[in-house]
Amino acid sequence: MTYEYTAPSLLLLPQSELIKQGAEARVYSLPSLLPTPSIYWPPTTPASSSTSSTPAPTPVILKHRFPKTYRHPTLDASLTKTRLQFEARALARAGRAGVTVPKVLLVDEPAGILGIERVEGWSVREVLGGGAEGEVEIDHAEEVEREVGDDGPAAATGDEVVVESEGLAALTNLGVSQQDLMAHIGTELARLHVAGVIHGDLTTSNMMVRLTPNAAHPYEIVLIDFGLSANGTIAETYAVDLYVLERAFASTHPASEGLYANVLDAYAKGLGEKKWAPIELKLKEVRMRGRKRDMSG
Amino acid sequence: MTAQNGHKKVSPLTKPAQRLLCLGIEGSANKLGAGIISHSPSPGGKATLVTVLSNVRHTYITPPGEGFLPSDTARHHREWVVRVIREAVRKAGVRMSDLDVIAFTKGPGMGTPLQVGALVARTLSLLHNIPLVGVNHCVGHIEMGRHITSSTNPIVLYVSGGNTQVIAYSQQRYRIFGETLDIAIGNCLDRFARVIQLRNDPSPGYNIEQEAKKGKRLVPLPYGTKGMDVTLAGILTAVEGYTNDKRYRSWDKLDSIKEGEDVITPNDLCFSLQETTFAMLVEITERAMAHVGAADVLIVGGVGCNQRLQEMMGIMAAERGGHVYGTDDSYAIDNGIMIAQAGLLAFRMGQTTDIKKTSVTQRFRTDAVHVTWRA
Repeated sequence: MTYEYTAPSLLLLPQSELIKQGAEARVYSLPSLLPTPSIYWPPTTPASSSTSSTPAPTPVILKHRFPKTYRHPTLDASLTKTRLQFEARALARAGRAGVTVPKVLLVDEPAGILGIERVEGWSVREVLGGGAEGEVEIDHAEEVEREVGDDGPAAATGDEVVVESEGLAALTNLGVSQQDLMAHIGTELARLHVAGVIHGDLTTSNMMVRLTPNAAHPYEIVLIDFGLSANGTIAETYAVDLYVLERAFASTHPASEGLYANVLDAYAKGLGEKKWAPIELKLKEVRMRGRKRDMSG
Repeated sequence: MTAQNGHKKVSPLTKPAQRLLCLGIEGSANKLGAGIISHSPSPGGKATLVTVLSNVRHTYITPPGEGFLPSDTARHHREWVVRVIREAVRKAGVRMSDLDVIAFTKGPGMGTPLQVGALVARTLSLLHNIPLVGVNHCVGHIEMGRHITSSTNPIVLYVSGGNTQVIAYSQQRYRIFGETLDIAIGNCLDRFARVIQLRNDPSPGYNIEQEAKKGKRLVPLPYGTKGMDVTLAGILTAVEGYTNDKRYRSWDKLDSIKEGEDVITPNDLCFSLQETTFAMLVEITERAMAHVGAADVLIVGGVGCNQRLQEMMGIMAAERGGHVYGTDDSYAIDNGIMIAQAGLLAFRMGQTTDIKKTSVTQRFRTDAVHVTWRA
């Protein structure tokens, strides 16, 4: 008789809703990790008293690093394992140091599943409304002729319409400007780096804005996706981390590249002069590192 | 990719009034290429007909264990350039004076070989009074790939001997999302081919691919992805290190290996090098796709011919519900026609390069080009 083992946490996946296929993993959402306990039997008993005593279920995000079939299985298994370990450890370490990150709820290394707290809100990318998403070009091969007479001006006015994102609207209502938001990101990054954690994939998609109506501060920045994180060792590693974000800003939000300066200012302030100086020096060095960069500037 | 808040952008290119001919001259590395492309109004009148009239190439091949040096490569180009261009014009069935524009590679690439192409372009321009257009080599690859595969807005993985970049188009620029932080993938493969004394004919990368098919053992190598960037130099050092390993058996000792013996063969190393580096490339491409929300990938550049890379990329793209578009070796490997295609697109937008500004540059970033011909 053959028996095939299935990791129990894999059984959670069919119950959950696939919300995103990221680069590394499929991300699922589950209302809660465990069903709400029912103390009474049979469960159909109208247990009005029990519902009030059970805590509200914590919504969970399950991150499943499914086997990547394009990769050699040996390579794939070792990458999945180490990245999952690193992610869980980094989240725990960052959380302990007071950085706002999702709580780790479940680690199932052989199955490649990580369960973390679900963050409600919008990604900074959505708030800034950047990127190539939503732009569609007419097929270059078709090359539909442009009729300057009536199509031109209409198309031009169409381009003028800037759709404000829901997140930006919510923040504007709270009186938070984009500069404030950038400064907040910078401060949060400084806190992460002081804790000695390198994120490894800082992009505007990997930062969430969560509203906190009852707290002193109206919103918080939650850093997510620590899948490529590492331990910070020397100034170099921190500088590269910042450089990744700088490039993400430049490529995703070409119109708001100037905003990135606010991030750096707040980061420098959060870190303090003594720690910032060597990183600033390295950052300049790292910027020059890409291939075939113009040497005039 | 479908639009999310869907306004369509109209291509700024207008239909050509009559047939336009462009000669492209490429010589940024060890391939010397010339090609003639025509853009003409289609009989129906709606579309533009793009026809490749000729695509001629001659490659400078060095002995095993040797790379191509700039001065020798330039000497090769000087020796062959007249023959290659004459052949391109003859095959196209046109006269030199019929040409509307001459496109040449402005950069990036090796300085001296680049100068040969530019010099010849200038000479022809003055002889026949034809305007010049300087073309970015990388943009040439992208435009030709887009034309051949009819993929409208893919993520582009540009992999060659001198370049490794993940590119996405946004707001009239080809923006570099990720790239190598040190050496290019083709350079990494070529240099390893030299270490294990593989032939450079037809190309070192092709020979590595063939040898890798016989490899069985995956040796552990560093895995260097940093965000959307990759680092390859350390992997090259590590794989070279295995050739000094006690278990390593070089080509002449392969026959004496006993069954079940713990050995590492050159085939294993080719296999491991490809598996590791290609996995990294596919991974950063996937990351860029997830970031931008694109479904399709276009692979351009010489390493793009590699079947294993195309296969891996295909699996990844299929998992995301997209396609991978590859070009065959007549267009993936450096050629003149891609320079002609990009040059003619720029020319149709009214761009020409004044002869005083036809200098070449070794450093010329893909994202430095203003892509006027796309919306």
